[in-house]
Amino acid sequence: MIDGLSVEYLIHLNEKYRIFSQLINEEEFLRIKGRCHFHFSAKDNLCTTDFQSRAGSRILDGYKPPFDATAVRKLRESGGLLIGKTNMDEFGFGTFCTNSAYGVPRNPFDTERSCGGSSGGAAAAVALLDGHVALAVSTGGSISCPASFCGVIGMTPTYGRVSRHGLIDYSNSLDKIGLMCRSASDVRKYLPIISGIDPLDPTSCAQPPLDLSSSEIRKICIPREAMQGISDEVEVAFRKAIEVIEDGLNIVVEEVNMPSLRFALPAYYVLATSEASTNLARYSGMRFGIVKEDVSTHFNTFFSEVRSVFFGKEAKRRILLGTYCRRIGFRDRYYLKALSVRQIVKEEYLRVFQDFDLVVMPTMPFIAPRFSDIQKMKPLDMYKADFLTVPPNLVGLPHISLPCGYYHGMPIGFQLVAPHWEENRLLHFAERWESVFQYQFPEVKL
Amino acid sequence: MKIGLEIHLQLPTTSKLFCSCPTSASEPNEAICPTCLGFPGSRPRLNRKALEMGLMIAKRLRCQVPEITWFSRKTYFYPDLPKNFQITQYESPIGYNGEFLFDGKSIRILRVHLEEDPGKIKRVGKPGEEVSLIDYNRSGIPLVEIVTAPDLSTPREARDFTSALLTELRHLVGISDKDEQTVRVDANISIAEERVEVKNILGLRNLEKALEFEFIRQSKMLKAGKKISRETRRYDEERKVTLPAREKEFEEDYGYILEPDLGVYNAKEIAESIAIPETPLMRVERLSREYGIGLAEAKKIVFTSYAFADLFEDISSKFPTNKVPMWILDQLAANWSALEKRMTEDLRTSLLKTIGSILSGSISESEGRKMLVSIIKGEEFVGTSQEIDTRELNELICSILNEHPEIVSDYKTNKRAANFVIGQVMKALKGRCSSDEVARLVKNELERRICR
Repeated sequence: MIDGLSVEYLIHLNEKYRIFSQLINEEEFLRIKGRCHFHFSAKDNLCTTDFQSRAGSRILDGYKPPFDATAVRKLRESGGLLIGKTNMDEFGFGTFCTNSAYGVPRNPFDTERSCGGSSGGAAAAVALLDGHVALAVSTGGSISCPASFCGVIGMTPTYGRVSRHGLIDYSNSLDKIGLMCRSASDVRKYLPIISGIDPLDPTSCAQPPLDLSSSEIRKICIPREAMQGISDEVEVAFRKAIEVIEDGLNIVVEEVNMPSLRFALPAYYVLATSEASTNLARYSGMRFGIVKEDVSTHFNTFFSEVRSVFFGKEAKRRILLGTYCRRIGFRDRYYLKALSVRQIVKEEYLRVFQDFDLVVMPTMPFIAPRFSDIQKMKPLDMYKADFLTVPPNLVGLPHISLPCGYYHGMPIGFQLVAPHWEENRLLHFAERWESVFQYQFPEVKL
Repeated sequence: MKIGLEIHLQLPTTSKLFCSCPTSASEPNEAICPTCLGFPGSRPRLNRKALEMGLMIAKRLRCQVPEITWFSRKTYFYPDLPKNFQITQYESPIGYNGEFLFDGKSIRILRVHLEEDPGKIKRVGKPGEEVSLIDYNRSGIPLVEIVTAPDLSTPREARDFTSALLTELRHLVGISDKDEQTVRVDANISIAEERVEVKNILGLRNLEKALEFEFIRQSKMLKAGKKISRETRRYDEERKVTLPAREKEFEEDYGYILEPDLGVYNAKEIAESIAIPETPLMRVERLSREYGIGLAEAKKIVFTSYAFADLFEDISSKFPTNKVPMWILDQLAANWSALEKRMTEDLRTSLLKTIGSILSGSISESEGRKMLVSIIKGEEFVGTSQEIDTRELNELICSILNEHPEIVSDYKTNKRAANFVIGQVMKALKGRCSSDEVARLVKNELERRICR
């Protein structure tokens, strides 16, 4: 698989699709190519010693971490060749990958359309490169969304399954490293490699071992709340896919009510921005990334200047939002309230999982939008687009987005959610789905 | 005057609170890593030892320990704070509602919690051209913060309390001797309605001085009919005054959230599994209780030295008397430091024997005194037995009487005739036994011979 790949090809590809913020150089590629069995990319918010790690932000320009993220290290140690860092929304803040400081990736099925966010580059890389595996990160749906828009598989494991050591944090209690690839067999191959306890990330240390042995899927449910506000083309494709599941796979599909899903979105934005606003406090121009030379001003002025110039607009919006939610007087109303909503949503899922093996819903309410349409959207419209991907993310449930149909050549995805630590159910479903549904990948014309 | 203290102490772990960097270093920025520098992608992992030490302290201060505990992020911008947030404890301190008994008074402990230290800023350069250098060696050093209720009433008492607390914690978790100088205290003082907070006072002496200054300053203001406003001040060591701190530095909205990288810890379970070693004040209480001595006496014994207290306990448990005369303890306590330096098993044995003889009455108090002094001075008694048993004494007395039968007949009319025999015995024994005991035995023997 590596044999057909060249740096020249990657450069050409990147000129058209802007998948990567950085690519491996020719010399290094030739030096280690022979020793590697597969190629992979890492989202730009994963620390790598041989590439800058900027999380799509100008404020980290020039930052080359002194260590590899655990997931990156494990893939390298298994014979993976890291070919580049994929473009992303700044710090993961976005649904369309248009908040990136280092290039907006283009959808492989239509370059006028978005790849989705925030792992847009990762999804596009998988759609364009045969045999490629991309390390991506999801906080509120950043794996599922671009997987759906780019017609690939997006696997988001249970929170804590994959060590977050070396992940440049957006929201620590939500961030999950996962995989994007073209087939369930790739998930089966790579998920065990990146999973497991890592003493460098305490939240990875409570996980039961990953067991990918077969798991029977008998009953699946669709939350009625998930079907409100879905575009016609997505609804048609989704309903058709459900028929295939029932008839072709002999799985019972029922509709259920999950009223708390409606509150997941606001709770998510409160928690995610609260944590993000503290995570981003460290970017002050002193020790890494942008380091300001003139140290003559008072530290408040010094920090403010760096932060006003080098943070993008969406980052500033989320810092303000998060800081507001944490403040005395608002903390109880927003931050603490959101924590309790998270608990309620979790309980609702647990209740549903007593009767059903998986929960299924469309991944995104619409197909990949055109950049021209995105420009017209207000921030709130953009946030709302995440209403299907946010609930499982909010409570750390494993989920997978799979292509389930095509509309005028544009892929449509659906998302399956399993109980905590039950990644095997998702994988098993994906394998069965692939026996009755043919994925399509774009023809690459350079 | 009401004083409440917030005392910050470094826990004596070998590695930092959230990473494996050492807690000591010789060069600036030597003991640092991505975690304690707050590099993106690095994350904290809790030093279990620090948690255990903190829980030990909470237990010692008779605090309630919560079922579970966790950490929070306290966000503020400052150049010495690498992440621009500090990992500390907010809603779930490892101890709350405790008390510390000190000089017969109970000081309430509001909370005990753990937190990381920031780095250290050093200002260098000529005035006007100064720059700040930052040393991150301290970043992530484990601290414990102990907050008292406003139960202290004088600057002296605040100092003595802190000092006693330090002594306790030194024995409990091994907090170093240097802490008298490096302990950092925030003090709340109110003599009227409003309280004033003096932040960042370094060391016990400064604590007392700062409080004294505040007392005088606030009293003068009240006398002059002025109102005391609620404010934050700092202590200027050079000028020995407290000054208003810039309000902005101490803005109180820290926007606390849970620290999501660290989990939840079963505080109670861990606390229950930890045994607390006996600290000095705990020992004082026990000695007083077990041996029926006053708290002041017990304190004197324990604070002279643990080895001295050990000796006391040896004596008190070996001899069937529950009151060791204070003069013995005074004598030993006064000379203990010299005595402890040359302490050997033999010396200890002879000390115990001598004290035993005094307690059993086999030697007189004045002789006992002499013997103790000579042991303390390191004279001839070292390692030899001081006791002559009664049978030996009787044999000696009998042989003298056998040689001088006239004494028995003299004794019938003149009891003082016994003195000659007593004198002879004492001479033979070179004063190594109680003259009272000898007199008793001589008289017994004489009476026996008269009756025969």
